[in-house]
Amino acid sequence: MPVATRHPKLVFFHDVDVVERSAESLGGLARTMSVEVPGYPGFEGHAQDADGRWEDWDSAGDLALHFRDEVLAAPEPVHVMGAGFGGWVALELALLAPRSLRSLVLVAPYGVKLFGRMEPDFQDLLLLDAREQVEMGWADPRRCRGIRMPGFPESPDDAQHSHAFAERATLARYGWKPFMHSRRLTRWFHTIDTPTLVVSGSRDRMLREGHSALLASRMPNAVHVEIPDAGHYPYLEQPERFQEAVLEFYARLEETPR
Amino acid sequence: MKFYHFSEMPYPYVPPEAEEAHGGLKYFMPNRFYDPVRGHDLYQRYLDEYELADGLGFNLMVNEHHQSAATLHVSATLSAASVISRTRHGRVLILGTPLPHRANPVRVAEEIAYLDNISGGRIDCGFVRGVQGETYPSNQNPARNMEMFFEAHDLIKEAWLQRDIFSWEGEHYQYRYVSIWPRPYQQPMPPIWVSGTTARLVDWTARHGYTLCNLLGTYDDVANTFRLYRRSAMSEGFPEPGPESFAYLSLCHVADTEAKAMEIGKKLMFYLKAGRMRLNAAVPPGYSSPEAAVAALRGTLGAIRKHSFEQLVEEGIALVGTPDQVTAKITELYERTGVGNLILMNQAGEMTSNEVRDSVLLFSREVMPRVAHLGHDWKEDDTTWRTDTDTAPVQPVLASAVS
Repeated sequence: MPVATRHPKLVFFHDVDVVERSAESLGGLARTMSVEVPGYPGFEGHAQDADGRWEDWDSAGDLALHFRDEVLAAPEPVHVMGAGFGGWVALELALLAPRSLRSLVLVAPYGVKLFGRMEPDFQDLLLLDAREQVEMGWADPRRCRGIRMPGFPESPDDAQHSHAFAERATLARYGWKPFMHSRRLTRWFHTIDTPTLVVSGSRDRMLREGHSALLASRMPNAVHVEIPDAGHYPYLEQPERFQEAVLEFYARLEETPR
Repeated sequence: MKFYHFSEMPYPYVPPEAEEAHGGLKYFMPNRFYDPVRGHDLYQRYLDEYELADGLGFNLMVNEHHQSAATLHVSATLSAASVISRTRHGRVLILGTPLPHRANPVRVAEEIAYLDNISGGRIDCGFVRGVQGETYPSNQNPARNMEMFFEAHDLIKEAWLQRDIFSWEGEHYQYRYVSIWPRPYQQPMPPIWVSGTTARLVDWTARHGYTLCNLLGTYDDVANTFRLYRRSAMSEGFPEPGPESFAYLSLCHVADTEAKAMEIGKKLMFYLKAGRMRLNAAVPPGYSSPEAAVAALRGTLGAIRKHSFEQLVEEGIALVGTPDQVTAKITELYERTGVGNLILMNQAGEMTSNEVRDSVLLFSREVMPRVAHLGHDWKEDDTTWRTDTDTAPVQPVLASAVS
């Protein structure tokens, strides 16, 4: 029998170019909340999930359907957080089951196209070299940690490189075209009225400038917070400031009637 | 043995500094460096060379690439149409149409059937997966490439074989009404060729009885790939495949003296310039197995790009030398691999039209007559590749020259 806890449940959908996929990657938040980090079918350790049916999936929306029952099974609405690609999964889940979510924290999420047809919303993480992505993904590339991409970090271990390539292949299945977004989610995300915090780093160049703020402005119950001196992974690059912003959001949420 | 003349129709006028700035000539090269007037002249010149080769007894091969100064063939079927209108005798090998990069397989079926009718059945129809880097210009999902290839093939074949309107509701392609006009001139369909080294693709090609082409592999790799093909074909119930089931593409230049052949032939190295392609362009996510992607990272995939010109000549990947030398190498190639079709890249980069013409003339006069007989009586030949004597295990083969 699991030990009963009074900590509220937080489901964290991780980004795909990080290897930090545990509650610890959220630092202090894990001490006040019961954090679950679901593994994505087709990613390391989850190749056999869903009986391999993920090979036919073509959007983060498929992942949301996969996780829907898990979230709905909770006795009360849960807090959901998603970073980068995980933000896209979280948005899809909010669209599917809005009443099952107590709140939504989105960290520089992919998933929604907001700019013009000749204005890419997202850097091509399926083409860029690791060196380029580190330059664009971090306010200070020297702080880079916990990142995994094909060929990065340099490692003598072919098995680790093989995992990284396999995960990129899975990501290509989910996000190749339309690139890292869903036309359906783009048409409907404005209906998501779950209390939402959108967090982005002031130096995030993986997303078009202003993307996260614009996303929040088009959701009826969302606010945007920018973390200074942080790139695409503010929870890794400025963990204290990030946690402070999230805890503040949760505190305000408690003051608000459900 | 049959011979095919081939040029990729390169555009050799991109300034070196632009090539350097854009990491090579392919896929990410802005077209401001293309001059349409010079381009027009190039097209006429290359088509003239196809016309000459046809008159000299060569068959002809065209291909396609996209957004690349290395190749001005933008559609293999368009190029085939141009070559057909200039030639009368040779077969026209389309190698090939990159099925996963084409959005509309029914259109491919129609175009091939059109060409086959116009030419009176001169078409050899090649299907390819499309080179890795072209995944970005085509924007087709590399993780779906192989499954799209197979489904597009299945649909095209039905479009050629069915005699009534049918519907296709597949994973990647959907049509409610298909019955193409015209249908192929060669009945029931033109010969199909496939190029590749991936075990799954080689096995599939063998089990369909199609011709398998190896591009610029070492003779050991070629022999190994063909070994897998022979075993797969026979386990499918086919008789032992003969040389007509196999093709090989090499670089080629012949001249009266070895020194002259080497001096001019070195220009063929243009084709193998690797550029500074990003890792993900060399192995797009999911296009290859993770193991092949690691090989790319380690530099063993596409290894022949690192070979020196002299090494390529020594290995026979570049058939460069006097007629005697090239005759000897082609004989060795046949004896070691059992190949029956030889595609000769007779032009690349800045090689002039006169240099190409001199070489194909000399080849047709002094090489072709001495090697054309190879494979005619293959069951009588003393070779190493016959299935009753070849008991070597099949080894995995990595692509020799990824683009």
